[in-house]
Amino acid sequence: METQKRRPWRRWVVLVLMIVGFVLGGIFVPVQPEITVAAEKLIEEPLFTLPVIGPFYLVNTLPTLLFTILVVLVIAYFTGRSLSKSAQTDLVPRGIGNLMEAFFELLYGMTEGATGSKWAPVIFPWFATIMFYVLFANLLKLIPGFESIGILHQVAAGHPAQGSLLMPGETENGFVLVPFLRGVSVDLNFTFAIAIISVFMTQVIGVQAQGAGYFSKFFNVRTMFKTPFFGAMDFLVGLLETISEFSKIISFAFRLFGNMFAGIVLVAIVAGLLGKISILPSMIMMFELFVGVIQAFVFGMLTMVFMAQATQGHGHEEEHAEAH
Amino acid sequence: MEGNILDAARFVGAGLAMIGAAGGGVGIGLSVQGALTGMARNPDTYGNLLTNMILGIAFSEAIAIYCMVIAFLMLFKVV
Repeated sequence: METQKRRPWRRWVVLVLMIVGFVLGGIFVPVQPEITVAAEKLIEEPLFTLPVIGPFYLVNTLPTLLFTILVVLVIAYFTGRSLSKSAQTDLVPRGIGNLMEAFFELLYGMTEGATGSKWAPVIFPWFATIMFYVLFANLLKLIPGFESIGILHQVAAGHPAQGSLLMPGETENGFVLVPFLRGVSVDLNFTFAIAIISVFMTQVIGVQAQGAGYFSKFFNVRTMFKTPFFGAMDFLVGLLETISEFSKIISFAFRLFGNMFAGIVLVAIVAGLLGKISILPSMIMMFELFVGVIQAFVFGMLTMVFMAQATQGHGHEEEHAEAH
Repeated sequence: MEGNILDAARFVGAGLAMIGAAGGGVGIGLSVQGALTGMARNPDTYGNLLTNMILGIAFSEAIAIYCMVIAFLMLFKVV
């Protein structure tokens, strides 16, 4: 029996990698990362200039965006191949098809619980697409090399780079690292784009469900002439609803961006706190894994809940009208 | 000691703006506490409570996010 004892060698690989990182971090002292809100430009000249919108730069979130889309497409291709293969043989999904089926069945059950079975097929694709895409955008940020490998620029107000083998001589100017790849959800353009898609499609689904009566939520004039005082109150509440639709976009975008940006700042600060001890940032990275998954879930879940609210009228009249 | 007093005021202002995040934290804590109590009493309502809890968390988190936006505006000289 003792000869069959398992030898878990993989955990030693992790330990060796941590020690190697510790030693290498002492030899090649990293340049302190620069914290910027906007994505940095890889090339100073704009790629092309659009007539109204303005110049279009190659920022370092664009390669990551392509990378994210590629990863999602590859997963979609292999899932489709696996599922069609199982559909031809014995209808038993195996491998990645099985995994994705379990994952999306869980999400579909959640959607059906919140929206009811009538609107679940309409709402589910938006929920699942946004959640899956944001999940990969958040998790790809954690791959080593993101936000750490890039070009060093000499800037007057930069960070010192002594002791690193790349720059043996002392220079009077500091350096700023412009990484090649920066997590795509640390770009306000990306989060705003998804937030606008989500809120706009919420309105579209609301109109699909209730027709033009959906807009009576925003311009509520139905009760204005029956009961003058409370009718005016309802109208003001409707205006507040209009404002809250726009604040939804802002809070969607800044929730994701703020959480992911806080992750970058936290890693950068913790890496700079203890100098050469480079194990602490990996602990923060573990926390980032948690935050990324939670934020993707929250983004998709909120989209789904708002869409479910849009399909249900806020008064009881519509439900009775449908019942007759 | 050198530097611009406006820069110092920006940092202080950003720090003060983030005090508002305490309210969001209290709100999130209260809503999770209520949802957990409900789940412990009646585990069958887990899914329904989870959805509503996340919705409530999102609304109270939005307040903290507005504070963060103001802090960003001050910190990075957007306005």
